[in-house]
Amino acid sequence: MGGVITAVALVAFAGIYVRALMFTPIERFQGPAQKIFYVHAPVAWAALLAFLVTGILSLLYLIMRDRKLDTIAAASAEVGVAFAVVMLTTGPLWGKPVWGTWWSWDARLTSTLFIFLLFVGYQVLRGALHDPEIRARFSAVMGVMALVLVPFIHVTVYWFRTLHPEPVLMKPERPSLPGVMLVTLLSSVAVCTLLYVGFLLMRYSLAVLRDIREEEMVDGIS
Amino acid sequence: MEYPDNGAYMVAAYVVAAVVIVVYAASLFHRIRKAAKQ
Repeated sequence: MGGVITAVALVAFAGIYVRALMFTPIERFQGPAQKIFYVHAPVAWAALLAFLVTGILSLLYLIMRDRKLDTIAAASAEVGVAFAVVMLTTGPLWGKPVWGTWWSWDARLTSTLFIFLLFVGYQVLRGALHDPEIRARFSAVMGVMALVLVPFIHVTVYWFRTLHPEPVLMKPERPSLPGVMLVTLLSSVAVCTLLYVGFLLMRYSLAVLRDIREEEMVDGIS
Repeated sequence: MEYPDNGAYMVAAYVVAAVVIVVYAASLFHRIRKAAKQ
């Protein structure tokens, strides 16, 4: 199921490229570099959604101690790291021509880098612990941090001085984009969400397969 | 209409995004197939 969703989402992602590059107008002041927005913002959305899902499931794991919650949380965290790599590379590629600098150590960019490094650490931690119970508990404590960090990242553009633009969609007022650009952005957000779901289901299947193999090995030894 | 000449940044960003997404998808397909075989 995850494989089919991912395959469909990848084709749709290629469609987004065609729409953004060929059928969406160039913004007058930022030039072609503004089109990075149609990849950067939806991928950032998918990354933060993935980390938020990990945070929620980690909290639920600490309350309910259900192994399945830990497995899905870990799957979501890995997918989030993949999306965050795209977010953190396309961001500077947009920033350089528009702001005149690759990077600025302001609250938005620094906290985004921090959540990426946190979840890279989360993967390293899981790889280093072999006892499933300890691994699940320790990583859940780390994963819960996302519940604080994701909302914080969203409000940094309002609370602190930053080069990063304010949201054009997730705000109380109407979206501040012309119709054709808005359709491209919304389509890209939908495709990245579908891609997230496909990746999550695939990564979860992989974890289940590995668990089955681990149990067979333990049974073989005993 | 005159636009800033920064198309190379756009191309670089789109290429990087495609490479990371496709490589991650391929790694998932590969790891699942490997785990299912074992």
